[in-house]
Amino acid sequence: MRKKNLILEGLWNDNTVLSAFMVISPVIICGDTLRNALALIYAFSAITFVSVLISSFVPQRLPYAAKIMIYAVISSIVFIPAKLAAQEFFPGVVERIGIYFPLLAVNSLIVFQTEARFFRMKKSRMMISLISYILGFDAVMLITAFIRELFAYGTINSRMVDMDTLISGLGLPFGGFIFLGLFSGIFRKLRSATERNKDKEDA
Amino acid sequence: MLKNAKQERLIWLDIIITLITSQIMAYFYYGARSAFVAGIAVVTAAATEFICLRLRRKPFTADDLTCTSDAMILTLMVPTVIDYKIMVIACVFAIAVAKNVFGGRKNMIFSPAAAGYVFLLTSWRSQTLQFTEPHVHTGLFEKAANLVSSASHTFNVSGKLEYSNFELLMGNCVGPTGSAYVLLLAISALILLFRRDISAGAFIGSISGTVIMSLLSPTADSFHTSVKYALITNMVLFASVYIVADKRIAPKKDYYAFFYGLFIAIVSYILVLTMAKENAIVIVSLLFTPVALALKNLEKRIENEKKQEEDTAASENEEKLEAETNA
Repeated sequence: MRKKNLILEGLWNDNTVLSAFMVISPVIICGDTLRNALALIYAFSAITFVSVLISSFVPQRLPYAAKIMIYAVISSIVFIPAKLAAQEFFPGVVERIGIYFPLLAVNSLIVFQTEARFFRMKKSRMMISLISYILGFDAVMLITAFIRELFAYGTINSRMVDMDTLISGLGLPFGGFIFLGLFSGIFRKLRSATERNKDKEDA
Repeated sequence: MLKNAKQERLIWLDIIITLITSQIMAYFYYGARSAFVAGIAVVTAAATEFICLRLRRKPFTADDLTCTSDAMILTLMVPTVIDYKIMVIACVFAIAVAKNVFGGRKNMIFSPAAAGYVFLLTSWRSQTLQFTEPHVHTGLFEKAANLVSSASHTFNVSGKLEYSNFELLMGNCVGPTGSAYVLLLAISALILLFRRDISAGAFIGSISGTVIMSLLSPTADSFHTSVKYALITNMVLFASVYIVADKRIAPKKDYYAFFYGLFIAIVSYILVLTMAKENAIVIVSLLFTPVALALKNLEKRIENEKKQEEDTAASENEEKLEAETNA
């Protein structure tokens, strides 16, 4: 796979949230404001990147179950300084996010994608792919939080915006679920349209 | 196939006629604004359905006009003075999200009107549950003044209503645009039942559940009053006719549909009793969607098993006959 394709893979072709429906609970439950989103983006990116990087040094000869446990232990250790830094940078937000913050330590990218994808690549390619997947999650989180905050609360990053009609249901988990479903549908439609165009150009 | 299509259109026509009668009553009580809100809702629903079908690359046929009855039902569940924009958003949500995202007219999971109403409740609770008094005609572009809570809310909180039986029968009490006209609703229910436009099992189940619960745990001094108020308030009668007994959602066989309606009525009565949850039946009917789907699957499985048994019995008989003729 070419480097360009590798970058697009996690961002567009196989997006963590919109394609694979992984790590959707924090997006649905906590992705209703940009402040929450930024804290989650920071935590997810830091924990996932460092954990996968360290985990890649775990010997591959070990049994699968043992490796998964080791990955979970590594990410839990990485989680401690990540949480301390988050409390410093985003005061109050970590408490608001609640259980979904520590749950990021055992997200699907670390637990499943490592074995299924990342560790089958060379280190340099793995890094590019990993960053692409993380950015894919970050982008979805940011877009979702921006739209939900704007339409549910009439604010952008807690600053009031002149919105006439607010849909407060969008700030609730059920609103997040519906929004993510529609977002995913539109994303898939766009992706298949671009793929069709590409096929036409190739032909 | 043709018979089915015709049946679907006739059902829609019957339902829309009964809804229009309620809308006429609403016009009498609340003025031109009620008709204007209904018009906006119907146009929005039809436009949304058309756009969704175009996006799904399907033609817009006369059968797809059923979306207009959903819009009418939604209109009759909200106050006349609701913001037009909110009504438009609710209709778009009901038709696009609750109906077309799940596969449209032929794959209905939720009642679009119920989904739209719950969406309204979660997003604009005060606008959805604040009403003008009957005979207060608000202008088309006027802001309503002196909004009050509904009669259902008063009953849920205090257990009493200060309306005469005649007023309750005629719907001359504070409440949604068109769900309080008890006499009209009773006649509509009878017409729709006799013309088999609604699920009789679900309707009877829902009414029976409410009556049984109000007898077991009365909310008023006497059983008679308790049953009366339990049926009249919280849109129980309206929702039993147009949402719970919706043939597109309820299980096909009356036996299963009865229990579906019964459970909805029991759970919603408990919610009203314990939490004073206004119009709980609409919320519960939406939450009971998985039950309806499970009952439908059960129906299918039983039908398939019966068919298989009949087929095997028929083939055994044929074999026996063949053996006898050979002998």
